[in-house]
Amino acid sequence: MKLSLKLITYVSLIIFLIISIAYISILDSKVVNKLDGVLWTVPAKVYARPLELAEGGKINVDGLKKELEILSYELTKGIPDTPGEFSQSQRSVNIFIRGFGSQEPGLYRLKIENDKIDSIKRKDGISIDLIQLEPLSIGGMFPSHLQDRILLNFSQVPKDLEEMILVVEDRNFYSHKGISLRSIMRAFIKNTRALGIEEGGSTITQQLAKSLFFSPEQTIRRKIKEAIAALLIEIHYSKQEILLAYINDVFIAQSGRRAIHGFGLASQFFFGTDLKNLSLDQKALLVGMLKGPSLYSPINNPDRAKTRRDLVLSLIKNDSLITEEEYLDLKGRSLKVIPPSFKSLSKYPAFNDIVTLDLRKNFDDSDLRTKGLKIITNLDPVVQDYLEESIKDTKLKLKRRYGSQLNGLEGAGIVIDSFSGEVVAAIGSTKPNNYGFNRAINAVRPIGSLVKPFIYLSALQHYSKYNLSTLLDDSKLSVSLPGGKLWEPNNFDKKFHGNIPLHVALSESYNVATTRLGMDLGYSVVQETFTKLGIKKKIPKYPSIFVGSFEMTPLEAIQAYQTIASEGFYSPLNSIRTVESSEDVLSLSYPYKVEQRFRPEPIYLLKFVLKQTFISGTARGFSSRVIEKWKTGGKTGTSDDQRDSWFVGYAGNYLMLVWLGFDDNRKSPLTGRTGALQVWKNFMSRLDPIAYEVRKPSRIRYEWVDAKDGLLSGESCKGSILIPFVEGTEPEMIPQNRKKCRISEESYTAKVLNKIKEAIEVK
Amino acid sequence: MKINFNTYLVALILMSLFLGCTSSPKKETNFYDLEVEKFSSSVKLLLTDLEFLKKEILKVNANKPSVQRILIEADDKWMKEDLKKASSALERGLRIAKDESALYLRLAHVRLEQGLIKESSAFAERGLLNKNASSWELLLLKIYSAQK
Repeated sequence: MKLSLKLITYVSLIIFLIISIAYISILDSKVVNKLDGVLWTVPAKVYARPLELAEGGKINVDGLKKELEILSYELTKGIPDTPGEFSQSQRSVNIFIRGFGSQEPGLYRLKIENDKIDSIKRKDGISIDLIQLEPLSIGGMFPSHLQDRILLNFSQVPKDLEEMILVVEDRNFYSHKGISLRSIMRAFIKNTRALGIEEGGSTITQQLAKSLFFSPEQTIRRKIKEAIAALLIEIHYSKQEILLAYINDVFIAQSGRRAIHGFGLASQFFFGTDLKNLSLDQKALLVGMLKGPSLYSPINNPDRAKTRRDLVLSLIKNDSLITEEEYLDLKGRSLKVIPPSFKSLSKYPAFNDIVTLDLRKNFDDSDLRTKGLKIITNLDPVVQDYLEESIKDTKLKLKRRYGSQLNGLEGAGIVIDSFSGEVVAAIGSTKPNNYGFNRAINAVRPIGSLVKPFIYLSALQHYSKYNLSTLLDDSKLSVSLPGGKLWEPNNFDKKFHGNIPLHVALSESYNVATTRLGMDLGYSVVQETFTKLGIKKKIPKYPSIFVGSFEMTPLEAIQAYQTIASEGFYSPLNSIRTVESSEDVLSLSYPYKVEQRFRPEPIYLLKFVLKQTFISGTARGFSSRVIEKWKTGGKTGTSDDQRDSWFVGYAGNYLMLVWLGFDDNRKSPLTGRTGALQVWKNFMSRLDPIAYEVRKPSRIRYEWVDAKDGLLSGESCKGSILIPFVEGTEPEMIPQNRKKCRISEESYTAKVLNKIKEAIEVK
Repeated sequence: MKINFNTYLVALILMSLFLGCTSSPKKETNFYDLEVEKFSSSVKLLLTDLEFLKKEILKVNANKPSVQRILIEADDKWMKEDLKKASSALERGLRIAKDESALYLRLAHVRLEQGLIKESSAFAERGLLNKNASSWELLLLKIYSAQK
């Protein structure tokens, strides 16, 4: 009996030993596995474009102020003296830049004259050509656990931060072997006296082990496991590696569903700058939060966070890391944390969808979620904010006017840099911050009259047959369809207008004349233009496509207009500027792609008419000063029964498209003019873009013609209009009754005499 | 019979007036069109001497100091044959100023070196629309645009 008890004891001991060894082996492999690889799966970070301020560059001061506000810069009255502050006087803006990448933090003074940056000077008076504001963090590509971090290497960890962490969290870090018996005993006595858990007594290695493998609950069993894991970590890794892992892994804050880990990301999250640019009080705040990220959160509990920060400062003062004076100065500083730029996944869901679409062309999903890529997009946060505000504001106004008819009104809007095809802002709903169906990329809708410029562009390429004063027939039309049915297009005003010049047919958006024009040109000619504009779909061969039954998404439609806005140069839309690996080594750049798809002359003619849309057509109502300043042009679109309200228009370098309608495709009281154009107008008035002058193509000549019959006329002839022609295609006929009023303009004789006079003056 | 200069000038003016009354005005040709037409046969030859063109382009400076700084950075990368980075720098310049011919010229040449002939020509064509371009810049741009 005795023997068998002994045997059972031995066997139990052996089984226990085997289980313990097995457990330790499993834990050991987990430790190595996690610290060697799995831990460092870092989600991709997505940023807006960094704003560059260049001497001699154009600037909109209101836009700059808005950008600074979005980046949580604080407006001060005097000269800013800490990073993240700015001040403004009549002709200058002072910015204390936080610093980003190679851009040093510091105070810069911008002198602004006539919408231009006249000079940029540093605090010491030295002139600078170019400065860069830090880009706004707008989202990420997160793995399912939603842990987010920025990995640092040891050289990126400031020495004073390292010392501060050790003073506060583990003074004996370099002398213990993972667990500190002295700390454990101290905690044990304190907890026994309190009959509960009051103090942890964990070393940094134990805290790392806890963060990597265990739940936050504090039990004796978990403490033992944690201690074993800590010992294993110490066996495999050097002290420096352990400290770096801790600095990169420690949990510091929660933002929605996103967990903020590590000091690298915490620095960006709370202060909007790199760790290297933080002041001591800012570092002390972060170190103080380690004890309880939620309890000492400077956002939720600022008073507690400040008390804790001051305690950290007093500890480093006691260790002679700072002097008494420094301590008093640092203690006197306010917390000045910035609000999170986004919670959970992305600040701008619709734009994020476009970025994801572009990224998937080059990266697979796991790369995006694990390799710590830094994605610099083309998003302009100021433009994006204006876009969001304008759709919300306009919807409110429209609802006031049309009442419950507009319940459930949805919309989409995209803004691009027409020159480069860079997508700078996007919304996929009238509630822009909502996730869900993204109408900007997914709503396939009939584009109404937005199609017409494509038809007219097809015509204008045939110089010998069509010019702006070519007469088109807008009388009643019946088209036989297969199956014997008749299709009879009508105009929006329910009238027919007989023979009208081509430019009038387009600016007034007449359906009948356009259908005839499309049919005269033929489907293949129109298809060719569609393809050159970047439209990948084949056009169906029925005549209603010439007046808008053609369906596109807002993203596809704006691509087609990009080529027109950009003088005939096609650039594929692109939301990304660069993708960099976490070590700041360039991984992939997205260069400008430009292809000349149309000669400048037909585009010039078309843009002349699209400008008329604003002067006398369906977008009229803007002052001539604004039309000239913005160099604007555009087109309204309304589908059958007003189910879709569209507007696309360019101003300055911006091209914006707006769609309004209902997801269930019901009728709306809105036309392109009364709906989408109002959003465009609201947006552009906020943005007030500055346009560049473009040279008129050398073969373009202006000629006075009659607005009705398109024949030659003169400046002082009644009903005449000055319109452009490709050289040699001007009308030749001048009716007898107009010869007199045409002669009064500057004659060829006068021109010759003037030329001779000019030549003599030059001599 | 001797014809003095004044008589000649008057005759010329009268002839011009007479021609002006009887025929339609003669179409003007832009400077750069004229120049390129004149030297059209040499254009293709110039495109084979890329080193010469490169030297000429490197002499073209930007008007804005900020863009000039970017040009120096881009030229440095270009000299080191890092065409990708040179191109990125030039595109950065375009985001700041779209009216600097120096950028279009360099992009036209860099794209050509990258083997992207259509893009090279497109950048040159874009540059030709720049209202601030000088005659010499326009002439150089016209050479690259002739690659189609």
